[in-house]
Amino acid sequence: MNDLQPTVPVNTPLLRIDRLSVSFETSLGRVKAVQEVRLDLHERETLALVGETGCGKSVVASAILRLLPKNASVQGKVIFAGRDLLSLSEKEMARIRGCDIAVIFQNPSLALNPIIKVAEQIAEPVQIHKGLSRHRAIPMAEDMLRRLGLRERTLSRMYPFQLSGGMNQRVMISTSLILSPKIIIADEPSKGLDLSLASQVTGELAKFRDEIGSSLLLITHDLLLAREVSRRIAVMYCGEIVETGNSGEIFDEPLHPYTKALLNCLPERGFQPISGSSPSMIYPPTGCRFYPRCQKRQKKCRERPEMVKRNGRDGGMSREVRCWLC
Amino acid sequence: MLALLKAVNVSKAFESGLIFKKHRLVLHDISLEIEEGRTLGLMGASGCGKTTLGMILGGLERPSSGCVFYRGIDIKKLRGDDYLAFRREVQMVFQEPEGSLNPRKSIERSIHEILGLLEIPKREWRNRTSEALEKVGLSEELLCRYPGQISGGQCQRVALSRVLLLNPKIMILDEPTSALDISVQAQILSLLKDLQRDMGLAYLIISHQPEVIMFMAHEEIVLEDGVIH
Repeated sequence: MNDLQPTVPVNTPLLRIDRLSVSFETSLGRVKAVQEVRLDLHERETLALVGETGCGKSVVASAILRLLPKNASVQGKVIFAGRDLLSLSEKEMARIRGCDIAVIFQNPSLALNPIIKVAEQIAEPVQIHKGLSRHRAIPMAEDMLRRLGLRERTLSRMYPFQLSGGMNQRVMISTSLILSPKIIIADEPSKGLDLSLASQVTGELAKFRDEIGSSLLLITHDLLLAREVSRRIAVMYCGEIVETGNSGEIFDEPLHPYTKALLNCLPERGFQPISGSSPSMIYPPTGCRFYPRCQKRQKKCRERPEMVKRNGRDGGMSREVRCWLC
Repeated sequence: MLALLKAVNVSKAFESGLIFKKHRLVLHDISLEIEEGRTLGLMGASGCGKTTLGMILGGLERPSSGCVFYRGIDIKKLRGDDYLAFRREVQMVFQEPEGSLNPRKSIERSIHEILGLLEIPKREWRNRTSEALEKVGLSEELLCRYPGQISGGQCQRVALSRVLLLNPKIMILDEPTSALDISVQAQILSLLKDLQRDMGLAYLIISHQPEVIMFMAHEEIVLEDGVIH
């Protein structure tokens, strides 16, 4: 699927996340979920954001679309089409959500309304954003379902609880893509699906991305899926991006000790666990966040490293890493 | 060697419909054996009957026909202390770690619940709790927290620590890592291997991931539409 990607992204990114920090005020203390994240997503590019559960990946997705709860405090910029999404009014954001930037949430059984037929749910964005009547929007929804492999006409008249997890995920994808958005944010699209179903669903998502020419921000903890679908990967640990680079380079020559340790957890590398446990997001380590678990830690690692550029295979400075030792 | 747990010609059908009864056969003529200290892997796609078979072997579901033997005795005929010993020695670990724990009880209370059932004197609870946590690599800091305040991997470790307090001989692990991400999956699988080596446990590990089965199991069987292939 990598071959389907355009080889060189254009210079101006479609979406630029600049020094994005998100924290949540809770009864236990301030949770520092995302810390100074910088990411660029180019036109027709697929970027995978990978990391362990709880490292802040989904918070980044919600922050882009401003879907965070009220106890969240957000700093930084999210630039889309020359405008900072974080400073737009709610009315302007509502126009962008679904139309320009769409999100596919994990757990479709929870994201879909259980008491509305699936075709009605898929047709809703068309009715709201394009002002089409229900009469014209429903056939469009049925067509989307057909294109995603749900060809039986009766399926569109069913409720989410009457469909399997894989079918519901396809309904979610149809709802998100029916307006041909410029950016698709897929938050763990394969979570809860078994291996063959996950591969089918993501294959269809990648096919659709190519058909409508969208950019895809894939958020996943599944490293193999990230390698299969995306051209670039950003590795996140404890709220920070620790390494970015082309998928092949990240897998073949990882630079950051965390990326190396994460790849060693893969089945083909013998399920080698990372020693220690993830640090608290309320009291994260002050220096490098991986310092307490790093096998190569030095005294210097107690200070916070900056993200630095490194040579990629293509000769350009296409890689970035946050480590004193790399 | 005598099989610790053995299924002989086990079939299971579920009934549906109020007036017009329909029977759906989910398991057909399954026979298998689990020996002491060994791991049997049970693999198959979603909905093929893996969990139902695990529940039958764990005594949580009755087969429609066929028998399950524990240490050579049909589990239907177990009574009194023998039945209690079976329930204690054959334990299940489920897929959703958060679902295995009561969300309204702290981790400490969840562990104490087991110690109370085992009628262990209260003065020993503190030491026994520390030992249980140490076995699964958790710190005592977590004791005052609730399941919603700890990660999925930590929840699964707490669930394992509760099971280990009962001193089981066989653990039926139903997709024990499929709700966890890759790094936590590696931690749990390596912990399970260590426990097997130290305590001589037998496992039936149920998974749809062939790589998990290959890593853990000494023997493996594949279930397809309720039939062993």
